[in-house]
Amino acid sequence: MEKKKKDNQPAMTFEKALEKLEEIVGRLEDGDLGLEQAISEFEKGMKLARFCHDKLEEAERKIEILQKGGETSVEKKEISVKKDTGEIDDEDDLQGSLL
Amino acid sequence: MSDHFYTVTELTREIKAAIEGNESFSGIWVKGEVYNLTYHSSGHIYFTLKDDNALIAATFFKNANRRLNFKLEEGMKVLAMGSVTLYEKRGAYQLNVSQVRPEGIGELQKRIEQLKKKLEAEGIFDPARKRPLPLLPRKIGIVTSPTGAAVRDILKVALRRYPNIEILLAPAKVQGDDAARAIALGIMELNRPEYGVDVIIAGRGGGSFEDLMPFNEEIVVRAFYNSRVPIISAVGHQIDHPLCDDAADHAAPTPSAAAEMAVPVKSELTGEINYHFMRAEKALEGIIRHASTRFESVTSRRVLRQPLEIVNQYEMLLTDMERSISDAMRSIIAVSRERMISIPDLPVRLARIMDRKSHRFAAAVQALDQLSPLSIMKRGYAIALDSDRNIIRSAGQASEGDVLDLLMHDGSLACTVNSIKQGAGFGKEEKR
Repeated sequence: MEKKKKDNQPAMTFEKALEKLEEIVGRLEDGDLGLEQAISEFEKGMKLARFCHDKLEEAERKIEILQKGGETSVEKKEISVKKDTGEIDDEDDLQGSLL
Repeated sequence: MSDHFYTVTELTREIKAAIEGNESFSGIWVKGEVYNLTYHSSGHIYFTLKDDNALIAATFFKNANRRLNFKLEEGMKVLAMGSVTLYEKRGAYQLNVSQVRPEGIGELQKRIEQLKKKLEAEGIFDPARKRPLPLLPRKIGIVTSPTGAAVRDILKVALRRYPNIEILLAPAKVQGDDAARAIALGIMELNRPEYGVDVIIAGRGGGSFEDLMPFNEEIVVRAFYNSRVPIISAVGHQIDHPLCDDAADHAAPTPSAAAEMAVPVKSELTGEINYHFMRAEKALEGIIRHASTRFESVTSRRVLRQPLEIVNQYEMLLTDMERSISDAMRSIIAVSRERMISIPDLPVRLARIMDRKSHRFAAAVQALDQLSPLSIMKRGYAIALDSDRNIIRSAGQASEGDVLDLLMHDGSLACTVNSIKQGAGFGKEEKR
């Protein structure tokens, strides 16, 4: 969705975006801004709010378990979990440790 | 023989005071075997501690023995901590026990203390290096047994708070011989950047002192310390916290509590964003209202008096407002077009505000139109502009040879000033 992450600017984090949004609200509420500035600030705020919402949706519910694959390698395997109890569905996934 | 004597009570009280006031009999560890063990129906435990040559009665009251996490047995070798007290009615002294540990644990305890001192000297427990947890972790790493209650508790809490959270579980034995190595390895593994883990929770549910031992092992404590990713220690405990708690960035008393620390409540974050947005919206609405009011009041007052002079200014203001408002409309439409599920009705609401505004705006435009210089110019007037597009208001403003623009209602004439006559010229010129 956001492809415009440039190398020269550090990636925006959720925290930063929320902080900036708060700052914008502060500036708008101060009431010192001209109409045009206010609208451009508001637009920025809208983008930040969107960014935050996108960030919240970015993670895609996925539960994985690390398993030993071969002698030294480690593999990830997706497992399913009952949401209300937190129980892991498949007994086979309960085996083992990385050792 | 003597006039002076003690009553039994007096003497007993003096002895009691001497014993109980003596610091070296208070808060001490006593090693011995348990005999005559009685679990009383009141919840108190009574027993005798003895070794080869001596014995001492012991009371282990209900409020203290509640935290006992193993069962005392006849003949068991223990370390009991307590203070010596004297029971006047029976003239007997006893150890009033506050906690008991199997004797083997005394050794472990000593080892832990030594390790703690050593690691402390290295700065491993330095509170200054503890890092804050990210507000919004994308992926949580868990190091614990895949079969224990801990993993279930963590998953349950995490999924409830943040339904689309990503979790990576590094399964590790959490008790027994290999446990310490397995836990340390799990922590190291989850630190690999390619997994993208933002927070690690490592721990297990509660257990006996010995069950929790792996979390007191040097290799585990160091793994916590060396974790590049912020790490929460999540070892269920009631009395003594394990050493890894001190090396972790954050320590939780249970795995569930750790999950609560690590995983935000998504709906709260959504609410916070929306709250800020709503305030921004309100503030903007106020600013627009203020601008429109000013605009209208200016239009109705000054324009009437000197329309030509300030028309330019209004035209600029008009254009600005028009642009601003249509910009705002455009971005609102853009936002509503993209999906902004979590701010329901927002674009609609905002569009409504803007709509109200643009109604008033349209009315203002109409008012301005009636005062427009165009309607005046249609009646035969022209506006003279110099080469910088300034309005020429007096004859003295121009010089001979200047090129002026005469704006008519339907076009303009480029003119050259041939001569300048000062004084009111109306009529005279015309008559000629």
